[in-house]
Amino acid sequence: MHLIADILDEQLRDSRGENSGRIDGIVLELRDGQPPLLAYLEVSPITLLGRFSERLARWYAKYDARLGPGRGVPYRVPWARVTREGPTLRMDIDVRSTPINALEDWLSRHIVQRIPGG
Amino acid sequence: MKKLIEISLGIVTSVGGFLEIGSITTAAQAGAGFGFQLAWVVVLGTLCIAFLVEMSGRFSACSKHTIPDAMRERFGVNFFAITLAVLLGVTLLVLAAEEGGIAAALEMATGWPIPAWATPVAILAWLLLWRGTFGFIENGVSALGLVTIAFAVGAAKMHPDYHAVMTGMVPSLPTHDRVHYWFVAVSVLGASITPSLYYFYSSGAIEDKWDASYVGVNRVIAAIGMGFGGFLSLAVLVLGALVFHPKGVEVQHYQQLPELLTGVFGRKGFWLVVASLGIACLGATVEIALALAYTIAQGFGWRWGEDLEPHDDARFSLTYTLLIAAAALFVLFGVDPLKLTEISMALTAASLPVGVFPFLILMNDREYLGEHTNGFFGNAVVMVISGLAAVLAVVSIPLQLAGG
Repeated sequence: MHLIADILDEQLRDSRGENSGRIDGIVLELRDGQPPLLAYLEVSPITLLGRFSERLARWYAKYDARLGPGRGVPYRVPWARVTREGPTLRMDIDVRSTPINALEDWLSRHIVQRIPGG
Repeated sequence: MKKLIEISLGIVTSVGGFLEIGSITTAAQAGAGFGFQLAWVVVLGTLCIAFLVEMSGRFSACSKHTIPDAMRERFGVNFFAITLAVLLGVTLLVLAAEEGGIAAALEMATGWPIPAWATPVAILAWLLLWRGTFGFIENGVSALGLVTIAFAVGAAKMHPDYHAVMTGMVPSLPTHDRVHYWFVAVSVLGASITPSLYYFYSSGAIEDKWDASYVGVNRVIAAIGMGFGGFLSLAVLVLGALVFHPKGVEVQHYQQLPELLTGVFGRKGFWLVVASLGIACLGATVEIALALAYTIAQGFGWRWGEDLEPHDDARFSLTYTLLIAAAALFVLFGVDPLKLTEISMALTAASLPVGVFPFLILMNDREYLGEHTNGFFGNAVVMVISGLAAVLAVVSIPLQLAGG
């Protein structure tokens, strides 16, 4: 398996098959005398922005924190809970129990549902 | 039987969706300025978009990925961001031109000025997306676009010299107004080879749940649909050549467009052009707004789908809402839709390689397409034509601007 080619930037789905963002970053665990271990996948605009500029990511993180509990730091999915399914990666977690879609939910509640037909 | 219905439906939508502000005005300008001499550019542009549409349908049917989805996955986020920025910048101008086209049609119909129509037009397009389903938009709106067939009927009734039209299909060098000739050629190419069209088509294949068994259906739809669409562009060029060229009149205002058909159909011709322009641009507006929203949503892994309720994919729905509103600002502030069309079509041509070349890399990747990767001919056609369009654009845009 190639971490960059096969994991990074892939579409992530949740246990119900919902789109749950893309793999924005990969976290490896360094171990003494043993090869590094793939520990977590990160799904977060903070990680994504950090790939362009660390300063930009730090600046944005303050605003990200306002989106609710669990935001303000990158959300991490344990690698053990992820499997490959066709063209996407699937986590055995319901995205509704994670902060991944906090912005979507906020926009839905505060803007879309106030527009007729939304 | 089911596939036969899908083929006919697909052809109807392709034909109905082909003509829009860009192809109508640039083809009319080409005919007005150079008679039949630029017919070859319409043929080249049609050939290229037919290949691209076929490829994008095949790509999605076989790989279950849309193009933006695969771009981010295969090339990473940095490259995706550059492609997205270019696509967004250029296509927003195209979207503004389309909304301006609807407003221009309404101005001709009612006499109320174009800026007054900016808001109603934006609300209408937005309502179609907010309340409509994908099937309704794909089939309903573009089926209405079949009114553009009036251009083909009109051109036939004018009895053009078919031998001369055929001669125009052979590439030739300009004898006068060299810079203008190449600039119009570039605009025609940009109008035919619209990236949002094949991006839209690739998402459509996923929305319609295509699989590898659709490769044949897809090929027929792309070839006949785009071929017939190009034929309609050619009809507009022929009309421009017969109506404007002999009088030495250039197409510089929207109000001139009805003349394309009033000679043949009288007053009815006026309404046919107004209806064609309005409906074709409305179809293009919703398709382009959707195509851009798809691209952004897929690139970031959001929930997306025109069949979902807006509150289920809030980011996606608000994205097309903002795009339609942003484009409407150009119309509201009185930017001339014809100028906007000329500029956006030329910029589309100049930026073609940014989207097309990485797409070709994907189309040759066995990881995505298995045995259905591109052949040599398809690669060559798309690479040569889009490369040519970009080179001509980069050379002719500054010269055209310098020459006024």
